[in-house]
Amino acid sequence: MIRQRKDKVSAFVLASPLLLFLSALVVWPIYLGIKTSLSRDLLSEFEITPAGLDNFKAILSTPDFWSALRFTILFAVVATLLEGLLGFLLALVFDRKFPGKRTLFSMVLVPIMIAPSLMAVMYRLILNENIGIIPGFLQKFGWDISIFDQKYVFFTLVCLDAIQYTSFAFLLVYAALQNIPQEIYESAAIDGARYRQVIARITIPILRPALAIIAMLRLIDSFRTFDTIYILTGGGPGTSTQTIGIYIYKTAFITGDFGMASAASVTLVLLLAPLMPWIIKQFRLDVK
Amino acid sequence: MRLRKLFTAAIAASALVAGMAIAPAYAATEVKMILWPGPEGEAMQKVVDAYNAGQGKKDGVVVKQVLLSRDNTFAKEAALMKAKSSEYDIYFTASYLVGQHAPYLSEIKGVNDKIYLKASIDGLKVNKKQMALPLDTSLHFMYYRTDLVSSLSSAANTAKYKQISKTVLGKELSPNTDPETWSWDDALATAAFFTQKYNPDSPTKYGYALPAKNLLYNTMIWNDVLWGLGGNWYKNGQPNLNTASGKAAIDIYRTIYTKELTSPESSQWEYAETNAALTSGNAMMALQWNAAYSELSKTGATSGKVGIAAPPGKGQRTHVHALAVGLNKYSKKQAAAQKWMKHLATVGAMKNYAAAGGVPSMPEILTTMVSTNASFANIITYAGKYGYSESAGAREFDIYAKLAEVLSPAWVGQKTADEVASAADAALKSLRK
Repeated sequence: MIRQRKDKVSAFVLASPLLLFLSALVVWPIYLGIKTSLSRDLLSEFEITPAGLDNFKAILSTPDFWSALRFTILFAVVATLLEGLLGFLLALVFDRKFPGKRTLFSMVLVPIMIAPSLMAVMYRLILNENIGIIPGFLQKFGWDISIFDQKYVFFTLVCLDAIQYTSFAFLLVYAALQNIPQEIYESAAIDGARYRQVIARITIPILRPALAIIAMLRLIDSFRTFDTIYILTGGGPGTSTQTIGIYIYKTAFITGDFGMASAASVTLVLLLAPLMPWIIKQFRLDVK
Repeated sequence: MRLRKLFTAAIAASALVAGMAIAPAYAATEVKMILWPGPEGEAMQKVVDAYNAGQGKKDGVVVKQVLLSRDNTFAKEAALMKAKSSEYDIYFTASYLVGQHAPYLSEIKGVNDKIYLKASIDGLKVNKKQMALPLDTSLHFMYYRTDLVSSLSSAANTAKYKQISKTVLGKELSPNTDPETWSWDDALATAAFFTQKYNPDSPTKYGYALPAKNLLYNTMIWNDVLWGLGGNWYKNGQPNLNTASGKAAIDIYRTIYTKELTSPESSQWEYAETNAALTSGNAMMALQWNAAYSELSKTGATSGKVGIAAPPGKGQRTHVHALAVGLNKYSKKQAAAQKWMKHLATVGAMKNYAAAGGVPSMPEILTTMVSTNASFANIITYAGKYGYSESAGAREFDIYAKLAEVLSPAWVGQKTADEVASAADAALKSLRK
């Protein structure tokens, strides 16, 4: 009994630095965020006054918030699917032996090592119709295209996201592929299974947990997308490419309305939090 | 022996104590100032270095300039201001932001208004108090290719011009080879003439480079169109964009985009892309910031062939704003910061600034430097003659951003002027509260 109590005390003492760290860096900012969301807190006004639920009412009745949420979900889902698919296919290619594999492997991983904001600035240069190397190259073959034309802008943004993050999906799938015992493939070959059948009936089912993790991580990350789109389109024309991150940023730092921006953040958490247990259950990620 | 050691130790200790006592009298106070990187930050560093090496020693002040990122300087400052931080003594601000920043700035007293461009110094007053000191003055020019405009006067081109203007604008217009007197019809007809879609012989692919991205600085350029047509954000305190002039100004941008006088990509263009369109030889004209002149006059297709005119319109207008510095109300070094600000307000300091590439808001300096940058003469003339700012108070910055968001779908043809004009008025009304 005494020993059990001693164990509890020592566990608490050992965990306390981490708990203090978490309180300082997670709990306290969350508290401040909630407090700000309940205040009228404008940069142009010196005094901060209590606002009750006014900011939340305003956010829920703002079409821009909902359109940003819609765009974010659409972007996150499409980008995740594309990156997952391309990453999977790329991993299948790299799961074989071919000359120059090591060099190509390193090259495939390069985009993920570059900061998204830097990538966006680079895209602005290399895809620019007037001075960009890629439109210039395409023009030599008679293909005169404006890559940032508003008609293609959603597709362009998804593709640019895929260029950067497909390597992430590829890396995880490739690592998972290495863990599949070769004997399974050999048995399938003896049974006369075709390549397509092997992929559909063996590889994909075994990779399911890895694919689920990729889907979850990429969905979360795509949901937070900010820098690339902000630098390339500013969320426009109008609000047609405005993500929820851009909406919150603009509300706080351009409109100077910290109360509304915090209310949008809290609302977003409240909307997404109930989905987490479902996601964990669906993808069987619950730790036992 | 022991006594000698004690004596030496005593002398050393006394010297140390005396040194510590004397030292603060000579220690300079460090003043930290935020600016953004680019020509302004580079030019200011030269002024800072000269001050630290000279007048700063007399004042007992050392200035340290901190350059934040060009895109997000104001966002970072907003966070610092809201936290009532004393980390930086001097903030970077601008006439379109000073209303928002004013609660966190100290009034600057003793500024000689007369040495500055009126539009610049007045734009930094809030409730008649001088809240910041002007650095660079920014306004817009209509840049055009001089070689192409002069080619319009030939008989063959005149006939073709009439036919193209009839096709694109529904009006038969004659070429006007003096861009200084252009109406928007003249500008659009000229842009159409130099667009290959309508004139396959045009040396430029597009006649116009339209910065139509959802960006508050692009609203500032569009304002020239609005004001040039006699419009305004507010009239008698009421929103005024859902009017004939407001819709006509939206339609001018819409026409440029939907008639393909500009690249379809220009829906995502801002300053850099507009310059690239001109210097690459793909576009013939653009309303653009005065800062672009040094690049346009020396680079690519526009090198030696770039002309400057006032923005078109019946009553020509150009947006004018001043970049500026203001004193942090929460600075713990107010006296030292005031000394530095006093120095910055001198003609001598601003001469150094201009020599290093800045565009100070002092006509006296700009006049003497016309030989190094011909556009300085236009800045003085246009700021005085056509210069205009909305002075919409504390929410001016928000209004620019909101209008870019509301109007940009119409600029690029996604919506009509009628559809966005009432939304623009609603936004103006809510931000005027």
